[in-house]
Formats: sequence, structure tokens, C-alpha cells
Amino acid sequence: MTILVNRFGKGGALLASLFLLFALLASPAVSSAGGESDAILKEARDALALGHIDQAQVLFAQVPAPGPDGDEGEFVYSRMQLARLFFSTKNMSKARASAEEITAVYPDNAEAKNFIASVDRSVRPEWRQVVDDCIRFLPSLLKGASMTLILVFFTMIVSPIGGLLIALGKLSKTQPFSGISWFIIWFFRGTPLLLQLFFIYYGLPAIGITLSPLASALIGLGINYSAYLAEIIRAGILSIDHGQTEAAKAIGMTYSQTMRRVIIPQTYKRIIPPFANEFIALIKDTALVSTIAMVELMRAADQMFNAYFNITVLVLAAFIYLIFTTAFTLLFEKIEYKVGVYERR
Amino acid sequence: METILELKQVVKRFGSLTAVNHIDLKIKRGEKVVIVGPSGSGKSTLLRTMNFLETIDSGEILFEKQPCGYITRGGNLVLDSQKKLCALRSEIGMVFQQFNLFPHMTVLENVMEGQITVLNKSKAEAKETAYKMLEKVGLPDRSSVYPITLSGGQMQRVAIARALAMKPKMMLFDEPTSALDPELVGEVFDTIRSLADEGMTMVIVTHNMGFAREVADTVIFMEQGDFIAQGTPHEFFSADEIHPRISEFLDKLL
Repeated sequence: MTILVNRFGKGGALLASLFLLFALLASPAVSSAGGESDAILKEARDALALGHIDQAQVLFAQVPAPGPDGDEGEFVYSRMQLARLFFSTKNMSKARASAEEITAVYPDNAEAKNFIASVDRSVRPEWRQVVDDCIRFLPSLLKGASMTLILVFFTMIVSPIGGLLIALGKLSKTQPFSGISWFIIWFFRGTPLLLQLFFIYYGLPAIGITLSPLASALIGLGINYSAYLAEIIRAGILSIDHGQTEAAKAIGMTYSQTMRRVIIPQTYKRIIPPFANEFIALIKDTALVSTIAMVELMRAADQMFNAYFNITVLVLAAFIYLIFTTAFTLLFEKIEYKVGVYERR
Repeated sequence: METILELKQVVKRFGSLTAVNHIDLKIKRGEKVVIVGPSGSGKSTLLRTMNFLETIDSGEILFEKQPCGYITRGGNLVLDSQKKLCALRSEIGMVFQQFNLFPHMTVLENVMEGQITVLNKSKAEAKETAYKMLEKVGLPDRSSVYPITLSGGQMQRVAIARALAMKPKMMLFDEPTSALDPELVGEVFDTIRSLADEGMTMVIVTHNMGFAREVADTVIFMEQGDFIAQGTPHEFFSADEIHPRISEFLDKLL
């Protein structure tokens, strides 16, 4: 105080005395506020120690917001304690509100911000969690699924043509066609598709033929399904009444005209149900090409399952397969109805 | 009248059974030949050899005086090339007991099919002919339906129209009314009769004696692969000359 008077001189002494007066008047209030917080906090801690949580909550809430030079520490401490108490009693909205009181004054307070985030995470419903997982996994799964579809569509186009050629070969009485057809059916129906894929992808390089995984997959699926469809087509052709062939012959049709115009169109209705069977099996069989480094739906699901150990990804993959097989079932029912239109009175 | 189709010593065997046994037959242009006989007598088989649906084991078939349908290879008869057979068959119409309409085609398409694929006619031309033929058999209004919606008699008339649309030189009828309900037989016979009146050459296998008597120039009775008797309906059915086997057969029918 004397130093102040000395430094400011007479006028300064006046100013200093005025300041001093103010300080004296003000200081009890400030110190009483600080003291009050201390007292409240002490009381609250005691209550907490005794297990009086309700009382502690009330007391913590009484710690006032800091004034211009209030105590940040006590305020933040009290509100965080309050927030945790609410959190522990699962009163999430109040817990969040308490933490928000801190961020309202100190927007950068990391402790409060983290607390709010974890409150939000814990109040998020389980389905939101699943939705978030789906959003995370779907892009890769759909990418894999599109590869599955490419494999399926290619095989669906190639194998009926291959199957028809093999079937006609087997029905013919001339060698070597019937022998070759017999061999193809015997081999590709008699060995596992997995083995055929391995043979094409890993085995053919030994004789100088190196194929990409996609090419190997397409060739493997194409030939394998041609062999299966060939027998269905052959059965379809044999099931058509012999009178049809005779009628076609009697008006002068050649064998190929008879097949193309009379016999094969009549097989459609009969071979479509077993074709649908085969193509639905095909959708699932494409999963086998994951063994020759192709990333299709199953492989994509497997990779993500191994990375996250999250069952959602497998459920999603199952759903995508079911969507495909359902769509195919409906599509083939429609085709069956259409090609059989001449049999309805 | 010139001969359109001639069979010389035709033999057809099924294993140990001789279905057609050294048959000689001359069919003149415009002639109506009706073949009758008990089941399994070989009459359908004989008819089917005439358009090569049944291959013969020996003998010769001449169409318009030309040996046709077979070539001799190493002492055996072998069917001629597909091209030649198809050309021959397109000139000989055939109607089957079971109609054998193409079920996946409409009535009109059935009648157009051979014209387009075999005769290479344009669609428009084929359609015009098809309508004419359907009119001829009395079914101009059923052209757009599928065969399944037709009665047996209507189906058989469409089958006749389909054969006629090829403008054949002769027609073969293989028991054309045997699969029909009795009340539908008449309409098919009416159609065949009107065709006969136009001078079409035809060979008809049937069990219907009334129709045989009415339409035939020549009636042939066949049994166990052989012709037992043949002659005009008058000779055939007159009581004093009738062959004992035939009268037995006729009695059974009544």
C-alpha cells in the first residue's frame, strides 16, 4: 500500500486509496464466493462418500458458474461429477445437459466434449448400430455382388448354348460328336467344380496356358453348367412326342429345321423349371471361384468378416444371395408362364 | 392314266416280323386307294414306306416313274440324301391318326410353316395360301388360335390344310378318323371327300368300310403283310365274290 502511494504521488495516493476501498469492499464477496464453492464441494464429496447421491447431485448443481474471475476448476469439476452421477444412474439427458453446461462456457473443454460423445454413443439404439455397420459393409459387398452377377449372367448365356450343342451331339448317331459329348458330360459332371476351377487356374499354366482368374472362372462355370444343362435339354428333346418329328419330316423339313422350328421350341416349357434349379444353384456355386483369387460376394463378405468379426456382414451377404435367388425364381416363373402360353385353353 | 407311285416287291421287317411282304402296287394319278385290314396287318407301315418315314429292307419305290428314296450300298438299301428325301416328302402330303399339329404354333402358323421353311415362300404368300387352305377345310375363322383349343375333328382338318398347303401331288391318310369321337368323323370325311372330288391322288388307311366303299377306286384288304384281295368297291363288297377272310373281318366290324 505504501509503495503504491509512493509511486503515484499525491494524486496517485488518492487513486490508490479509492482502489483499496473498492478492493476491500469487493474482496469479501469474491472470497466468500470461492469459499462457498469450496464448502459446497466439500459437502457434496461428503454426501457422496456417505452414498447420498441425490444430495450430492443437488450440491454439485449449486456450484455457481464462474464470474469474470471465477474458478474454472471447481465449476468444471462439479459439473463433470454431476454428469457422471447422472450417467451412472442412466439419466442420459441430464448427464448430457450437465456436460453441456461446461461446453456452453468453455466450448473447447475436451473432457466435457468426450463425455457428450460417449453419452450420445451409449444412447444410440441398437438398430442404428446395425445400420451403421450396413453402410460400412455394403459398398464392398455390392462390388463383390456385381462380380457374382457378371459370372451368373455370362454362364446363363453361354451354358444353354453349350448345353444344346452337347445335347445334340449326344443324340446324334454319328461319331465323333456323340463320343465327345459323352466325354464332356462324363468328366465335367463327374468331378467337383472346385477341382475343375483349380485345374484351369493352377493346372493349365503347366502346359503354357495362363488365364486370369476371371477367365478361368468363366470357362470353368461355363463348361460345368453346359454339361449339366445338356442332359436337361436332351431329356427335353426326348420328351417331345415322336409324332412331331414325323409331321415335320412329312412336310419335307430337314433335321435341323425340325429341331429349330418344331422340337426345341416345344422343349422350353419343360426345361425351364430344371433350368431355374440349375441357375439358382449357379448363383451359389459362384462362391467357389473365390478360391481362385476372384473377389465376388462370398469372398468380399469373408474378407470383411475376418477384419471386423462382425456377424452383420454375413447376414448381409445372405440377404444379397436371397435377393438374387428370389429375383431369379420370380423371373423364371414368368418365363415359364410365357413360353407355355400355347398350352392354355 | 399314268402311274404316279409304284411299289415293287417292297419288304419291311421288324426283327423277325415281316410287316410288309413283297408288295407290288401301282397308284395312278387321281386314283383313290383305300387299304383296309385288321390291326397289325401292316397297312400303316406300308403307307409310311410311301413317304420314307419307314425304311424298306428290299424292293423299289418309284415316284413319277423314277426310282427314288434309296441308293444301294454294298448290296444294302440305304436312304438317299436328306435333301432328296425332303424334296420327295414335300410332294407327298401325309395326315396322321394323331393329327400331330405343332402345338406351339397357331393354326395359321401350322399351315404356313412348311411353305416358309421348306418351299422358301414369302410370309405374305404363305399366309394367303394358308387362308385358302383353311377355307377349303372349313376353318377360316380359327386361324389365330392354338391347336389345343380345337376339337379333334378341327385339328384333323387343320392337319389336312397343312399338308395341302405344300401343294402335294398325292396325299397319304393314316387312319385319319381313328382318334376321333364318332360325331366328329363326318366332318373329316367330308373334307377328304371334297378333296377326292377335286381329283387328288390319295392312299387312305381306314377301318371305316362305308367311307371305303364310297370314295375308293380300289380297295385293298391286307393281312399279315400281304394283299389278300384288291379290287373296285363293287367287286370287293359284293357278296358272291367276297373272300372268306374279308367277310370274317367285316362281320367282326359289325
